[in-house]
Amino acid sequence: MDQNTPIMTLRSVAKTFGNATVALRGVDLDIVQGKVHGLLGANGAGKSTLIKILSGTFKASGGTIIWRGQPVSWDSPKAANDMGVATIHQHIPLVPTLSVLENVFLGSGGAWRLARASRKRFDELCARMNYWPDPDALVSDLSIGARQMVCILQALGTGADLIVMDEPTASLATDERELVYAAVKQLSKVENKAVLFVSHFLDEVMALTDQVTVLRDGEAVLRAETHTLDESRLAEAIVGKQIVELERAAQGRSEAALAAAPIRLELRDLASSGRLKPLSLKVAKGEVIGIAGLLGSGRSELIHAIFGADKHATGTVVLDGQPVPIGTAAAVKAGIGLVPEDRMGQGLVPDFEIWRNLTLPALHSVSVLGSLPVTQREKDRGEEAIRMLSIKASSPDILVRELSGGNAQKVTIAKWMFSDVKLFLLDEPTAGIDIGAKTDILRLIRKLADEGKTVVMVSSEFEELLAVADRILVMRDGECTAIRHAHQTTEHELLLLAGGQATAKPADGHNSDQAAGH
Amino acid sequence: MTMASETPMQKTESRAAPSATPKKNNWARMFGLREMGVYYALILLIFVLTMITTYTGQDNYLSILNMTNVIYQASLIAIMAVAMTVILISGNFDLSVASVAAISAAVLVGNADAVGFWPAVALAMAVAMGIGLLNGSIVQFLGINAFIVTLGTMTAVRGLILIYTDGRSLSVKDPEVIATMKAFEGGKFDVFWLLVAAGVACLALGIGSILKSRAAQKQLRPAAVGTIIGGAALLAFATASGGELVLRTPVVYMGIFTTLVWFVLTFTMVGRRLYAVGGNPEAARLSGINVLRYKLMAFVLCSGAAGFAGVLFASRLRSINPAGLTGAELTVIAAAILGGTSLFGGAGSVIKTLAGALLLYSLTNGFNILNLGANWQGLIEGIVVVVAAAIYTVGNQGQAKGH
Repeated sequence: MDQNTPIMTLRSVAKTFGNATVALRGVDLDIVQGKVHGLLGANGAGKSTLIKILSGTFKASGGTIIWRGQPVSWDSPKAANDMGVATIHQHIPLVPTLSVLENVFLGSGGAWRLARASRKRFDELCARMNYWPDPDALVSDLSIGARQMVCILQALGTGADLIVMDEPTASLATDERELVYAAVKQLSKVENKAVLFVSHFLDEVMALTDQVTVLRDGEAVLRAETHTLDESRLAEAIVGKQIVELERAAQGRSEAALAAAPIRLELRDLASSGRLKPLSLKVAKGEVIGIAGLLGSGRSELIHAIFGADKHATGTVVLDGQPVPIGTAAAVKAGIGLVPEDRMGQGLVPDFEIWRNLTLPALHSVSVLGSLPVTQREKDRGEEAIRMLSIKASSPDILVRELSGGNAQKVTIAKWMFSDVKLFLLDEPTAGIDIGAKTDILRLIRKLADEGKTVVMVSSEFEELLAVADRILVMRDGECTAIRHAHQTTEHELLLLAGGQATAKPADGHNSDQAAGH
Repeated sequence: MTMASETPMQKTESRAAPSATPKKNNWARMFGLREMGVYYALILLIFVLTMITTYTGQDNYLSILNMTNVIYQASLIAIMAVAMTVILISGNFDLSVASVAAISAAVLVGNADAVGFWPAVALAMAVAMGIGLLNGSIVQFLGINAFIVTLGTMTAVRGLILIYTDGRSLSVKDPEVIATMKAFEGGKFDVFWLLVAAGVACLALGIGSILKSRAAQKQLRPAAVGTIIGGAALLAFATASGGELVLRTPVVYMGIFTTLVWFVLTFTMVGRRLYAVGGNPEAARLSGINVLRYKLMAFVLCSGAAGFAGVLFASRLRSINPAGLTGAELTVIAAAILGGTSLFGGAGSVIKTLAGALLLYSLTNGFNILNLGANWQGLIEGIVVVVAAAIYTVGNQGQAKGH
């Protein structure tokens, strides 16, 4: 086959869920054999949907997919697999209780569990990838990076020609990333496979990929050869202009006013053994503290320790001069509200309606006799929240599991807005939500601060922190390594601080200077 | 509203169009098999049995005597099933109820002669609730799955009964205690006027609610319609009884207990929080709810109800066989499942559980009346439970896909 003929071509592929949510609005994509194609986009831009269409999990609502010159329509992941498309999903779908060998050949036939032939094929695969895991180790005993490699072997074992990797490095440590980078290069350059590489990390994409497509709001806004781009072009294409506007709004804030404001929150040697090193901090009324750090740096642990959700936490949390006893009930009583990272897992009861979720932390305020909630009051409160936060829901009777990520997140924040909450703890409040909702939420955070609430906010997207926070606290390995005023620092500096000097850099030499951002 | 800044406000207005028309109540769902199946099944079963008995010329199945009999037979299991529903809502599970009921009965019978009826009842209840606390503590503090823990206590408590009774039947001899037991378990109440009052109250509430939503130009609330139907059913039952409706005390206890639990679950903060604890324990904890306390209390309530059922059981027979009530836990759980209670927590209704228990006992009763013999009974009951579970599960999936 000619080197430049795409092995897979997508023409105006669209996907609509139900009758309202449009995930993809006609995307074109060309993937060439022997090349790595980068797919970028903010959370909610449609990357996952596109991948699920390629892998046969979803059916496209419109457009055509051409695979090796033939239009195809896959109706199951198995069908896509048989045609030669293997997908490595973000949440690694291995069977933890089976061995590496069994996982690699999970999809293949044969009557016997431990056929000798499969061992031989396994060795061949390892030789091709130059990676040698123990075939008999249980997957549950492996590190996440090693599991990722097992997935790659699995994909290779199916004989696929196109390998789709959905954020393969998202939760990996530096040295584990190197392994995956090497594997990707091996796949494309030596094995002559086509690779679709989805990532959040711009440096990775710059170093590894040959071509790039950027999605925003379900559309491909940028298609180019990687070498013609730089990271700031990519970043601009991904986020658009919205956050930049907010950032400008942030400039107007007066530091003097904050310095004069009374102290609202004081942490005295707050620690949690093994996860959080002692931290002392004073936060003023109306101040927004951003917490920057990589995954696993102790940022969520800090939030949970302040909230009293960490039983092993030591030290004191003082709110308005009163020490808060450890325990979530005491924290809520004292006026602290937590918006956790995992919305559906930790923040909401999925089978409750919007109104039932909203009133959960402050039921007594809608009750008579201090114990009997009045449904009508609760529903009115639901209507109010929908109006105030522009939640896209036709009525408060909608179950929260039917809401999209951004709207569900608004509900988790709204939960705390009807009682006298003085301190908001927000853990990744904008993760996985569309850009419109994201801007709404960032504005809301500023609004809360302007009303005198104190906000502590964790985010992986440092530009968001720069946009809304007054001060930014950098965490690494459970320790606060630096505190910066938002207007005195840059995303570049935060990245360096959070990642230390050993910032994850792709092994590729010619791009190493770009790893730290722009 | 001070919350929204300029731009979100504008967005609100542009989005206001769809939200101006309130969402229509989904009547098909509200009165579909998923929500109301257990009532339909109960009505269908009673109808079929009535037709058959009429056709074959036997006594009318739909007689008040037979009906109250079925309710009486179901009462012990129903009390336990209501409490089981609570523990299932909280996201846990209790297999040990029948053993707990049996040990409570054994403690009562074994001690009543020596210490008198009421002190023995207190002791029996304390033992039962103690086992509940133990179950709950092991599950919550050690983090072992409730199924495994209560499977263990089910067996262990049964063993404890054997040790306590030395494998023999115990019985009560003191005539004074026997008299108290008879009064406690065998007493009769005429609840005709109570039923009429309840029926009228339901009707009034339902109609009131409808008038109110009319006046406010809001959607008709399905709950109002349900209340009216329930009130009409109560009145019909009262009318059919012809002015005298005698119920035995266990039925009255069941009625009071179910009403109480229903009220707490439906109208109080405690109930709301219990559903939240079962629906998503982590979200409940992070909303400031003491999850541990709710889960422990559910265990204690479940075992307490089982203990009370054991007290009634012992008072009825005034003796206890060490193997008494063996296997009843499965009937209890079956009743809760027939009532649509989720085994994963967060969903369930005690009224439907009650209907589930009545359904199971109507089946048994029907088999007796039709002389079908006990051989078929297990098969049919099993099929009914699986079909019910299938309807609930498939119904749920359809609902999820619809959106």
